[in-house]
Amino acid sequence: MTDAGLLEAAAGGSHAAFAEIASRHYQPVYRLVWRMTNGGADAEDVAQEAFLKLWRNPGQVREAAALKGWLMRVAANAVIDRSRRPRGTPLEEAPEVADPQARPDAPLDRAQAARLVDSRIAALPERQRLALSLVYFEGLTNIEAAAVLEVSVDALESLLSRARRGLKDSLSAEWRELLGGLAETGQ
Amino acid sequence: MEQDNNHSGDREVDAVLRHASRPPIPAGAMDRLMARIAEEPQQARVIAFVPRARRRATVWRYAAAVPLAASLALGVWLGANGRIDFLMPSAVTGGVALNDDAPVDDLGGVGDAYAEEGTT
Repeated sequence: MTDAGLLEAAAGGSHAAFAEIASRHYQPVYRLVWRMTNGGADAEDVAQEAFLKLWRNPGQVREAAALKGWLMRVAANAVIDRSRRPRGTPLEEAPEVADPQARPDAPLDRAQAARLVDSRIAALPERQRLALSLVYFEGLTNIEAAAVLEVSVDALESLLSRARRGLKDSLSAEWRELLGGLAETGQ
Repeated sequence: MEQDNNHSGDREVDAVLRHASRPPIPAGAMDRLMARIAEEPQQARVIAFVPRARRRATVWRYAAAVPLAASLALGVWLGANGRIDFLMPSAVTGGVALNDDAPVDDLGGVGDAYAEEGTT
C-alpha cells in the first residue's frame, strides 16, 4: 500500500496502518534526530514526537508522497526547538565528552574514527549538520532536502558546501588517515 | 578543472563520512511508539457544529413590509399625477427641466446641437 493509502487509513483511526507508516519511516527519522542531538538520550522522545504529531492529525500532510520529508521536517524542528530551550543542567554538571583522539600519534581504529567523525559533524552549525545528514546519511535529493529545510536548492547547496569545507578543515590532521583507512578496510 | 576538484573533494567527503556511526534504533522503540499512539486520541477531522436554535418564523414578521410597500405606492402615485410638484424645486419640475421649448419630436436635444452649430 502507498503512503497515501496508509495515511488515509491512519486518519480513519487504523493503528495497523500507522504501525506500517512507522515501520517505513521511523529509522531515518530516528537517525536524523540522533545526528542532530549528537546521540542525545532524548533522540527517541523527539522521534516519537514527530510521529505523535502525525497520528494526532494525519490530514495535515498535504502531499502524502512527501511523507518522509514531512516527518523529517517536523523532527528537525522539534530538535531545534529543544536546543533553544534553556537547559537546566549547569555546565559543571554536564558530562565530559571524551576526546576521540586522546593520543594524536596513535593510528585510529574503526571505533575511534567513527567517534572522531561524529564529533566533528556534531561541531558543525545546526543547519549545516541538518543539510549534511539529510543528503549524505538519509540519501535525500537536494530538492527533497531543500524542502525539508524550507530553503531554496541554491541555499541548500551553499549549506552543504560550507559543511563539507568545515568538516575538511576540522579533520585536516586526520583526513589522509581517514581516507587511507577506507582503503585498508576495502571500502 | 575546478569541477573535477569539487567532485573529487565530494568523493573524499563521502569516504570520510562513511566512518560516521549509523545508530541502530533502540530495542523496543517501535513498541514504545505504538504504546504511546494507543493512548493518544486523534483530533476529530470533522468539527460538529451545533445548529443554532432557530425561532419559528411568524406571519407577523412580514407585517413590517406593509407600510414600506404602501409608502412606495403612495410616492409613485403622487409623483405621477403631479399633485406634489409645488413641493419640488423648479429645477426638477420647471420648464427648463421639462425642456418645454424643444419641439415635440426632438426630445434628445439634437435640434439644439444643430442650432448651436448654425450660430458659430
